[in-house]
Amino acid sequence: MSDSEEHHFESKADAGASKTYPQQAGTIRKNGFIVIKNRPCKVVEVSTSKTGKHGHAKCHFVAIDIFTGKKLEDIVPSSHNCDVPHVNRTEYQLIDISEDGFVSLLTENGNTKDDLKLPTDDSLLSQIKDGFGEGKDLVVTVMSAMGEEQICALKDIGPK
Amino acid sequence: MQGFPGGAPDPQQLQATMLAIEQACSLIQVHMNPSEAEKVISSLHSSLMPYQACRFILETSHVPNARFQAAGAIGDAAVREWGILSDDNKRSLIAYCLNYVMEHASSPEGYVQAKVSAVAARLLKRGWVDFPDQEKSAIFFEVEHSIRGIHGPNRQFAAINFVEALVSEFSPATASAMGLPKEFHEQCEWTLEVKFMKDFYCWAQAAVFNAADSILSGNASIDEEKACSAAFRLMFQILSWSFKYNVEHANSETKIDSGLRSDAINLKKFERSLVKPGSMWSDILISSGHTTWVLNFYTTARQKYSYDPLWFDSPIAASCRQLIVQLCSLAGSVFPNDSGDAHINHLMHILSAVVLWIEPPDVIASSIRNGASESEFLDGCHALLSIASFTTSLLFDNLLKSIRHYGTINLLSALTSEAVKSFVDNQNEEETWGSDALDISLEIWNVILGDFDADKSPMSVDGAIAASNLFKIIVESHLKAAADSAFEDTDDAEYFHVSVSKRDEQLALYAQIARSAADTTIPFLAQLFSERFARLSQTNGENDPTQTLEELYWLLLITSHVLTDSGEGETLLIPEALQAGFPNVVEVAQHPVVTLSWSIINFSRQCLDPGIRARYFSPRLMEAVIWFLARWVATYLVPLDVSRGQVSRAEIDNVDKHGFQHSRKVLNSFAWENNQGELVLDFVVLISMVALTTYQGENELQTLICQKLLATVVRRKHTCTFIVQLDSWRDLTRAFASGRSLFSLSGRLQRSLAETLACAASCIKDPEASVQYLKDLMGPVAGCLVENASRSDLKSVAQKADVVFMVCCLLERLRGAARATQPRTQKVLFEMGHTVMNSLLTLLEVYKNQSAVIYMILKFVVDFVDGQAVFLDSNETSVLVNFCLRLLQIYSSHNIGKVMLSLSSSLRNELQAEKYKDLRALLRLLTNICSKDLVGFLSDSSIEGSQDIAEVIYVGLDIVTPLISLDLLKYPKLSRDYFALVSHLLEVYPEKVANLNNDAFARIIGSLEFGLCNQDSDVVERCLTAVNALASYHFKERLGGRGGLSSQLMESEGSNGTLQESISSHFLRLMLQLLLFEDFRMELAGSAADALLPLLLCEHGLYQGLVQELLEKQQNPTVKSRLAMAFHNLTNSNNLSSLLDRPNRQRFRKNLRAFLGDISGFMQIK
Repeated sequence: MSDSEEHHFESKADAGASKTYPQQAGTIRKNGFIVIKNRPCKVVEVSTSKTGKHGHAKCHFVAIDIFTGKKLEDIVPSSHNCDVPHVNRTEYQLIDISEDGFVSLLTENGNTKDDLKLPTDDSLLSQIKDGFGEGKDLVVTVMSAMGEEQICALKDIGPK
Repeated sequence: MQGFPGGAPDPQQLQATMLAIEQACSLIQVHMNPSEAEKVISSLHSSLMPYQACRFILETSHVPNARFQAAGAIGDAAVREWGILSDDNKRSLIAYCLNYVMEHASSPEGYVQAKVSAVAARLLKRGWVDFPDQEKSAIFFEVEHSIRGIHGPNRQFAAINFVEALVSEFSPATASAMGLPKEFHEQCEWTLEVKFMKDFYCWAQAAVFNAADSILSGNASIDEEKACSAAFRLMFQILSWSFKYNVEHANSETKIDSGLRSDAINLKKFERSLVKPGSMWSDILISSGHTTWVLNFYTTARQKYSYDPLWFDSPIAASCRQLIVQLCSLAGSVFPNDSGDAHINHLMHILSAVVLWIEPPDVIASSIRNGASESEFLDGCHALLSIASFTTSLLFDNLLKSIRHYGTINLLSALTSEAVKSFVDNQNEEETWGSDALDISLEIWNVILGDFDADKSPMSVDGAIAASNLFKIIVESHLKAAADSAFEDTDDAEYFHVSVSKRDEQLALYAQIARSAADTTIPFLAQLFSERFARLSQTNGENDPTQTLEELYWLLLITSHVLTDSGEGETLLIPEALQAGFPNVVEVAQHPVVTLSWSIINFSRQCLDPGIRARYFSPRLMEAVIWFLARWVATYLVPLDVSRGQVSRAEIDNVDKHGFQHSRKVLNSFAWENNQGELVLDFVVLISMVALTTYQGENELQTLICQKLLATVVRRKHTCTFIVQLDSWRDLTRAFASGRSLFSLSGRLQRSLAETLACAASCIKDPEASVQYLKDLMGPVAGCLVENASRSDLKSVAQKADVVFMVCCLLERLRGAARATQPRTQKVLFEMGHTVMNSLLTLLEVYKNQSAVIYMILKFVVDFVDGQAVFLDSNETSVLVNFCLRLLQIYSSHNIGKVMLSLSSSLRNELQAEKYKDLRALLRLLTNICSKDLVGFLSDSSIEGSQDIAEVIYVGLDIVTPLISLDLLKYPKLSRDYFALVSHLLEVYPEKVANLNNDAFARIIGSLEFGLCNQDSDVVERCLTAVNALASYHFKERLGGRGGLSSQLMESEGSNGTLQESISSHFLRLMLQLLLFEDFRMELAGSAADALLPLLLCEHGLYQGLVQELLEKQQNPTVKSRLAMAFHNLTNSNNLSSLLDRPNRQRFRKNLRAFLGDISGFMQIK
């Protein structure tokens, strides 16, 4: 590989096997993603300190699990690598809400996706249900990382 | 009591009220149902004629809080009902309060007494103008007698307390609200100052005088002491009054020659200002020997009570010292108009007494360490500071010489060293006496060394030795502390930054001391360095070098401060003290500054050797090295022509001082001699490369490299032209453009690095080479982004974390380069931006759910437009504008109507915060595009181009305004950006506004109204500009016979309910309300005039009506006629015409200023 080509994205199209990617701790910023205790998290606070005044820097992360909302913390030497999760967000049109709390979504290639549950939280639930009940055309965004999925956003694209 | 207001009391009801209040008070105290209890109490305050009930409570209740509330209620009610109380009522209320405090003077609940006193003072002020003089005299006659001690110490104390309350009630800063115009308060202030203040002081003096004997003989009762210390406090309070009605002498030359400063400094840092009571006070303060008496009193008392360590903190000692410190600040015409002798005498007297408090410093310091009180020592330091602020350093030094065989500076030096030692020992604790004493004593040094006329009175030889010794002690104490703390972990970064700025401030003050004796302190520093360098090279990996490293770290910091100024935003010069400090040095090689500089730089060079670097160039040491280098390069690599020019000019001035000038010349030119300058610059680049690549993850260090060192070198043209020719620089740019190693930097640093590297292009002389340099630098970055955005498998790989990271890095770099846009580099950078435009739109689509990437794209475009807008021709403009339009459309299609869902509220807040940041970026973008139009319209605005811009902005506004709520506008940054945009828009395109639909129009007007009442004067100014633009447009359209904004109606609250009215009448109402009844800031008068004039012209009829309505509302005939006069002058003086041209606007501005000045006296109410 010549020097000038080195900026290319490294990932191959079929590299879906890996769910995370190593990145130097010092470059991870607030609002970035990070894996702590094998959970995908969003960083809400980064601070640095040194081990002894003339030692090396270390980063102290406070992060929130993107699925459960639990708070997690970690300390990593800033020159070491952390795992960063691949976080995907996909939009689907909402076609139905079934009685047992599952949603039916329309994928891009015309199939349906029926394996996703509605959120358990009441207010979120009602936002989706009410919107759907009023006959609005809803698009939901599904966030997925490290093998988990969850509805994370909702958009009204106009009345039916 | 005769004339006491309120009907005949009904005993049962009084009892009931008292019980209710007592119960409420005790409920509040145990914090049960406080809102309910507060309601009960405030009902007493607001009830009609509550005086009898209050009196009953004051006299019978056993709950002190209830008595306190009752007193407050009397005050509130009387001020409110002042108009319906008869003269007898008023008088008897005041008399009642005064009698109450006198009779209950021995009551243990001091705060109740103080409250009743304050109420009496408040009511007396309320009636101040109405009461005839003899009535006031009668009241003060009683008070005076009590203060003089005729009715015993308890009443004495109560009376002094009352006068204290009175003085604070009459002082504008502490006055309570009475709902009266400003003029009333000013008048009270004036009469009190001119007619009474001096009497009060004399009474207090007499009180102290009478008590002095018994106190000094040890026979005083507790009550007597209490009264005496209250009298001292009152004297202090009176001297803290800001005297306004006095006449000052003209500044005489002789006074300046005497050694008093012409520029007496206000010591804001310690909340002290000059006390200038004027010549009226001369007799009681100066010629009567009052100061001497106070000093003697204190000196005798402290001798007498020296056995009792608690005495120094007793109220009487503390208040007496406070008075003495305040007496130090006396200035102005209170002293006779002689050559300053009286003033110097005064200072000397005080110093000779105060010196006992602080001398010998080491003995006192050690006794404080053993538990003695520090307050006297600190007060002594304060007194010294006040004295220093009046004197030149020479006079300051000499003051002590008449009573000691050494000067004041010697004493100060000893005192400061004790403070330093104590500060260093207790560095981890907050608010120790050592840090207080150090703060004050460093400020004294700052005052005497920062003296304007330092050239005329240089530091004496003794003084220089004292400073030099002090600096040695400072350095040694800190080095010891550094070595001791070397193994501690560093603090959390955020706290660290706060403490760093405090530390820098302190180091800069130390450095000032060092510079005042540069000929000894600089060699001393050099010696300390060489010792440590030697120690390091001997360690050889066997001993732990950490302690030495920490010592070096501290030495590098202090040395940077000594050799260079921080000079934020200024061009740095070599400190004057160093230029003048070595008159006898003629050889470059022997100049201490030169040898010190080279020894540090040569030491730093060793970090390029990997072995040595690994052994002892820790990240922290590197930080200090980089920081030192940045400051040194900025100061000592003086532009060649400047350094020569300066010296030759100086040589003409002073031919005889040849040696003196020579040493200046040496200092200004040594850095460039023998190619040293180039070598240093080369080293700067090499060390940067090393620090960026081998200190992985050390963000602090790398930030210093990118934002301090490299930025400094590139910002200065004469160093930049050298640096771009270096091979090492070429290596650095190549590594950035096409290597991988610098991708390990954090995104923010890649941005600053790109900015710095791109900035350097403008220092390459050959234009083509400059273009080529930029192409080589940014071409690969832009190319990479384009190539990857057009990949066929983009969708499937885009969301992977590594790809996201790479895209962010590239965007950060592009943004950095965009920020470096300069006239010479604009074309290349525009091309760079042009090539990535389509890719950015693709990425905006692909990453619509990755808010971090979206934000970065927006920020890049914001900076790109900001840098480019002013340069573009119409073709380029339309390219850019079309791009922005597409960008806005795509963004809005993704975001309008989107609701974020999340289980965790903190994650949801984060998402909101991200949206808010996007919004600000969009506002910025629109404002930047707007600015293009303003310039374009001056030069070659083609109609097509400007149409485009207007369209983008309105599309943008359509996207942004629905997202902005009035709640969001409470965020200052967002609201500033928003109003900047709106005012700009209305100025440039008022005709577009006329065509807006009702919803959009109402949104804009609503936000303007909100903005006019904002606290931030920037925002108000912007809104006034916007109103001006709207009204002027409307006026001009109507003048031309068109409708203007008449179609846009507003609902507004008129005098008879809601009504529909035109936009101009709506704002006219609002403006008048704002100007007359709100606390309008004078600095906004100009813009207010600009906005008001077109409104007046549009709605003349309504204006007349409103004025009439206002005048009729006024009850008071004088106010009414003055207001009418002011309104008349507003529109009729200065030949105001009915045009909107510039001269007329100027005239109206003048009128409005006069109008506001006129009415503020009686319309503004406190």
